[in-house]
Amino acid sequence: MSNNNKKWFSLNLNSRKKQTSNTCGCGKTTGGCNSHNSKPQMSDEDFFEAAVNASIGEERKKDGFDQVFEVKMDRRTAFKQLTASLLIGAGAVSTSCSLVSGEETKEKAQIDWEEQFKGNYKLMSDNEKKGTVDRLVRSYQIRTGKTINMSAKNAEEDVLFGYAFNISKCQGYMDCVSACVEENNQDRSSQMQYIRIHEMKDGKGFNFNEADDNYYHEVPAEGHFYMGTQCFHCDNPPCVDVCPVQATWREDDGLVVVDYDWCVGCRYCMAACPYDGRRFNWSKPEVPEAEINHNQHYLGNRMRKKGVMEKCTFCVQRSRAGKNPACVEACPTGARVFGNLLDPNSTIRWVLENKKVFRLKEDLGTEPKFWYYMD
Amino acid sequence: MFSCKNEEHEYHSVIEKIESESKNYHGVSVTSELYFEDTDMIEISEDGQSFLIPDRKGQIKSFACTECHSKPLEQMQSENLKKAHWDVSVAHADLNTMNCVTCHNPENMDNLKSLTGNTIDFNASYKLCSQCHTKQFQDWKGGAHGKQIGGWAPPRASMTCVNCHNPHKPAFETKWPARFNTQTIKERNN
Repeated sequence: MSNNNKKWFSLNLNSRKKQTSNTCGCGKTTGGCNSHNSKPQMSDEDFFEAAVNASIGEERKKDGFDQVFEVKMDRRTAFKQLTASLLIGAGAVSTSCSLVSGEETKEKAQIDWEEQFKGNYKLMSDNEKKGTVDRLVRSYQIRTGKTINMSAKNAEEDVLFGYAFNISKCQGYMDCVSACVEENNQDRSSQMQYIRIHEMKDGKGFNFNEADDNYYHEVPAEGHFYMGTQCFHCDNPPCVDVCPVQATWREDDGLVVVDYDWCVGCRYCMAACPYDGRRFNWSKPEVPEAEINHNQHYLGNRMRKKGVMEKCTFCVQRSRAGKNPACVEACPTGARVFGNLLDPNSTIRWVLENKKVFRLKEDLGTEPKFWYYMD
Repeated sequence: MFSCKNEEHEYHSVIEKIESESKNYHGVSVTSELYFEDTDMIEISEDGQSFLIPDRKGQIKSFACTECHSKPLEQMQSENLKKAHWDVSVAHADLNTMNCVTCHNPENMDNLKSLTGNTIDFNASYKLCSQCHTKQFQDWKGGAHGKQIGGWAPPRASMTCVNCHNPHKPAFETKWPARFNTQTIKERNN
């Protein structure tokens, strides 16, 4: 390596430079560990040729444009071939230096590989969605020995989710916040919370500057009222517009969701949201194994990683199954109303049609599907 | 050209979208029935709104009342019997407005009594409350007051008055919040 003055690291894929020394893991260059045959079964150059052939085959004969626009096989098949060739390579190594690679390790590698190169969830077919969900479930099983249940249920026709919040009823108990954290596997170490309950002074209106969202005293406190904010699932969401990689979008049932595996963590959406509805994982999210909610959805409460955005999904894993979000179920005062805006007989529609409802920052044109009302 | 119209749809606002798209509402495939199958429910119908509420009689521990109240009340008070209902103290309106017999009928213990002396079943206790709390009753029928049970999907199931409010002491009590974010405190102090 001394004659190599390059200051950067480069993959040694295309250089046909023949290795001058025949080294292996044992550190010796001759004899001893039985892996230094005087006549290798296959020369390095031949092996490279074979591996490339197995992985990309005739694709490499084309120029860059053809490679992109005249692909004969789909990406999945290509990866499978490439992975297979890598496994051949791994096998070659294992015969010479006795590296034991179990079936599970291979499967894990295969899963990681396919997960690494999967597409954006928004563009996946139902089969591909099922594929990634199955891989994530299997991966979790291999890694932790625990079984989770993950759904990829799509939005249903004739459903548009909406939410109403009764500011006369909220007493500031924060049972909703607690239920939300537990349901959605939010990071315990940074104490991430999707919901904020604001304690506001009577007679001052919605004055967020003077409101406190982290009070700790008996509630309701004299002379105060309470209101909650979370992701409002805007029908015209500014967070979606600014995402440079389309990792966040509005589903047909109105839920604004994030593909945690497509998000690059730029936090533009966080800046674009006028309601502080989005949260960022500054550190690796941690949830004690015993507290993990195993009933998950790909777009919802599945485990996140460091450096990605997340937010309230109206508990997609629950709402798409006909249940109310955890905050609605936990609220002891019935201040939270959730339902299908397209069902003329739903309670949410009754609230919109019969109560005096308003939304936050309506003039922005974000069209939140989250209304406030009073008794 | 600036347009306030949404790219995909010709709607100016989400309300417009809701009105238009719900015209051809066909119902949904999901149901919330599974989520309250452990609770006994009864169906009620008020002003064309029909929905489920939890059964009440099965939840009152000492129902039916006549199992103890076999004699007139005066005799039971005078005798040296075991004390009952010691945990009941009425904090509901003032004594000019309400006392025990505003809702209970000493002659007919197993039922409630309306202001005009009609019989109200314990399972329909909302009819008793709604005599005074008309506004809340309207909101409850529509769904703006009272917690939904199970899920948003049909059939609609709702808590009835007495599931959240103790009828003898209906106000909500103060309590400590379920959560306090110590991380936020740290960040604020930095």
